[in-house]
Amino acid sequence: MRKRPVALVAAGLVLLTSSLAGAADKKVIRMWQTETEPQTLAVLNQMAADYEKIRPDVSIKIEGLAWGDLEKKLTAALAAGAPPDAAHGQPITCASFAAKGLLRPLDDLVEAIGKDNLIDSFRNLCRRDGKYYGVGHSPASSVFVYRKDLLAQKGLKVPRTWDELIQVAQSLRETKDGQVARYGLTMTGQPLFVNIGVGELLKTNGGRLFDPEGRPTLTEKPVIELLDFYKKLNGVLPPGWASHNYLDTFANLATDKAAMLYQAYGRGVGYIEKYAPKELADPEHFAVADKLIGPSGKTPAAQLDCEPWMVFKDAKGGNEAVEFLKFFYKDDNYIRYLHTVPIHMLPILKSTYRNPKYQDNTTIRKWKPWVDMQEKFFRNDWIKPVLVTDWSDMQKPYLLEVMGSGILVDMVFDAVKGMPSADAAAKAQKRVEELLVSTGYLKK
Amino acid sequence: MRRLARHGGRALLGAAALGLASQAALPLLWMLSTSLKPPREVFAIPPTVIPATPTLENFSRLVRETAFLTYFANSITVSGLTVLITIAIGATGAYSLTRFVFPGRETIAKLILCTYMFAPIMIVIPIYVLARKLGIVNTHTALVLSYTSFCLPFSLWLLRAFFQSIPVELEEAAHVDGAGRARAVVYIVAPLALPGLIATAIFTFTLAWNDYLFTRILVSSDELKTLPVGVQDLFAAAVVDWGLIMAASMLITVPALAFFMAVQRHLVAGWGSGGLKG
Amino acid sequence: MGLSAGAAARGATLPARPRRRLSPAALGVLGVLPALVLIAGLILYPVGYAIWLSFFDKHSFFPTERWVGLGNYAQILRDVEFWESLWRGVVYAGSTTALQLVFGVAAALVLHRSFSGRTTVRALVLFPYMLPTIVAVIVWRWLLNETYGPVDHMLVRWGLVREPIVWLGIDHIMTSLIAMSVWQFTPFVIVTVLARLQTIPPELYEAARVDGAGAWRRFHFITLPQLKAVLFVVILLRGIWMFTKFDTVWLWGEGAGAGREIKTLPIYAFMRTFTYYQAGFGAALAVIMFLMLMVATLIYFRLFWREEETA
Repeated sequence: MRKRPVALVAAGLVLLTSSLAGAADKKVIRMWQTETEPQTLAVLNQMAADYEKIRPDVSIKIEGLAWGDLEKKLTAALAAGAPPDAAHGQPITCASFAAKGLLRPLDDLVEAIGKDNLIDSFRNLCRRDGKYYGVGHSPASSVFVYRKDLLAQKGLKVPRTWDELIQVAQSLRETKDGQVARYGLTMTGQPLFVNIGVGELLKTNGGRLFDPEGRPTLTEKPVIELLDFYKKLNGVLPPGWASHNYLDTFANLATDKAAMLYQAYGRGVGYIEKYAPKELADPEHFAVADKLIGPSGKTPAAQLDCEPWMVFKDAKGGNEAVEFLKFFYKDDNYIRYLHTVPIHMLPILKSTYRNPKYQDNTTIRKWKPWVDMQEKFFRNDWIKPVLVTDWSDMQKPYLLEVMGSGILVDMVFDAVKGMPSADAAAKAQKRVEELLVSTGYLKK
Repeated sequence: MRRLARHGGRALLGAAALGLASQAALPLLWMLSTSLKPPREVFAIPPTVIPATPTLENFSRLVRETAFLTYFANSITVSGLTVLITIAIGATGAYSLTRFVFPGRETIAKLILCTYMFAPIMIVIPIYVLARKLGIVNTHTALVLSYTSFCLPFSLWLLRAFFQSIPVELEEAAHVDGAGRARAVVYIVAPLALPGLIATAIFTFTLAWNDYLFTRILVSSDELKTLPVGVQDLFAAAVVDWGLIMAASMLITVPALAFFMAVQRHLVAGWGSGGLKG
Repeated sequence: MGLSAGAAARGATLPARPRRRLSPAALGVLGVLPALVLIAGLILYPVGYAIWLSFFDKHSFFPTERWVGLGNYAQILRDVEFWESLWRGVVYAGSTTALQLVFGVAAALVLHRSFSGRTTVRALVLFPYMLPTIVAVIVWRWLLNETYGPVDHMLVRWGLVREPIVWLGIDHIMTSLIAMSVWQFTPFVIVTVLARLQTIPPELYEAARVDGAGAWRRFHFITLPQLKAVLFVVILLRGIWMFTKFDTVWLWGEGAGAGREIKTLPIYAFMRTFTYYQAGFGAALAVIMFLMLMVATLIYFRLFWREEETA
């Protein structure tokens, strides 16, 4: 036992020296973002290395972590008064932060990449008082994917309305030896995506979640119709859908357990290429269709997946971060970045779209219909971030809390479990009101 | 009749042992099987236990394309240091709690237990704030200190229970024979406490090896990450590569398992069976 | 000369040796000091911070806070979600701890006997505990998947069920969570109990056998009393840990809407801080959990500790 204190001191010294070894003279710029694919991180790190050659006085440290983890880290960092220099956020996160004065305006970045060069609908991603506080790293929209070959086999038309979707899903169900071999439709029960689904589907039904004064409007007709629709969906979806996460739905689609997927994303192409039989892995079999239109609606709607880069006002390296971002958006670098997840990471700049180097990619050429469909939704402004039914909703400061509370998710599952739609909606209405009152956003 | 009972007893024992082995081994076998499958076979229905087209590609890609080996080395370093420090401080503390009387002894022991009553998820933010104040954010020092602080309480309690069951008579007998306290501890107490020390070391190592939350919040640099965080990023990458993930899982578990197979022999009391001579 | 076992267990000291510079009491304090310093240093500040925060209404992202005194606590008592989460947490902690104990002790007894291949089985048995939670959850979610998982495949093929059971669906997710948690954490009990079993003097058993005591009597009158000290600690630790368990529960249910069925108190506290962004409310929930555990532990000690001192 006498020898132990010596060992302790030695261990302590080792730790101390190893932690000091990393100290350098360069200014460290911390950037936290949500793309975690190894190939994307490789490109980003290469970009950082290239940039450091031009600016040897800075060291760019990019960390890739899933949004859930990023949020936790951000919370801790803000609590310690030491936010990173730049970070991704959800559009509504960015809007909230901007409203609270936490962000550095990015007008200089927007000027550098060209205000008119930004795809029109995305200029509003995080704007406040005429200033830009967030610039999306790359937009993607949710897409409706279906098995064209199976539909053709049964002589069915592509569904355009809610009811048609149910009918087609029923027709596409296959049973074998008393077991269901393939379901007509797959959707995920993951809370984030149910929130997304509610926002999207409600919009296609001409509905809204909040009125102009900020009161929730969950007892309105479009919401009730939505809950009735979910009840019908529950009948055509696999029975375990409440436990299927987003990747399970891709697996179901790619391995022929389901014929249609309503909330797919460009990333799914990678899954299909990897796990679907070779002869089926192309857009002729896995085709995209316009999103549906609800009984009370007129236009289709899809969810926008586009995390904006935010730069924190109190961060020491804000200006350097912006300089790096200007470098990031340069076509040569940007195109390499986008090509790491081709059908999902689309350009936010018009010039990049037109650049032949961007189009010169086998996956993009092969899966062009998927890219075109998303572009169509961007052009028509049929896309909105999660829980946003109208761009003016972005000014509401409480969307984050409503999303995180899961009240809308509970509403859907209450209805699915058997509660009458009107009751489920009323319960959710009350809960949202309580939440907004208790957090001070709504006067009683 | 007695022989029949004995055979029946042995059969029951065998069945129980088999049950124990299977419930642990089957998931392990499944992981192994998937790690050797190419992507298309992963989702095959009916699921295959023995891969139809086995491949080592997942393992080679893991080592070549990701920083897996770095994460592995980091995990070993950080966990190893945590075990050393925890055992050192924990054994000293537990010995003191059982062999010496001093004011507040029981209170201290109970207070130490209170550490666990605060859900770790709720203290992670203030720990980050503290780490920032101390200037140790994004270092292995912060990790070792955090892991030690949450491994110490249970180590103290566990070791105290073990030391308690070693009768003081043994050390006294040694004193009568002329040995000093230190020698008594080394030659008499330690061997008897060895199973307890090994058990505590195993748990401490596992807790440190598997920690995700604190590492994720405290560490940002890729070269400092430990396995759980490094591997989680693989999982979070949206086009999930199941073969790769299972290959990573195998490489995380198997070396530790092998190590424990070697060490668990010492869970058997070394020196004299019990020591309470007639 | 010697001290009685009871006196020794109460920590009575050996006669001071003339060469000692420090008294036994001082040595004792010195011995626990490093542990105390480390634990206090790294835990006291965070706990204090959380308690302080619970009296405020603070948004998790934004720097301003508003004093509400006991407002958060009052709101918690009125909150339906809180009571539901508490109930689920108690069910989860109670059932998993009890099952871990029963299986753990039984398994340790089996592994204490000698049989061929014992070393391998002992190492294998540790495997579930050593697996990082994320990996364990991924593997089990796969095995229990109703579409491509082998468990349901076997059950249907052997005719035990007509349709695949949706283990992670709304109806069964709590059951599958409990089963998976027991699988994951029982090795802790096994290893601890086994370590203790190894140091029980075989002479005790010999003497009992000579007296004609059967297996059950030997277990009841020798093994169990010898295990008491260790079991006391094991039950205490596992109970506290399962009540505050976050990782396993969160990862099991987070990927899906069925997760609301397993929203235990730690999950709810996490959600209030990180998804509702109400850091003060979340801190208050953590404080309440802490107080509940304190009370439970005090009762536990009162009921069982005295027995330990005379063991």
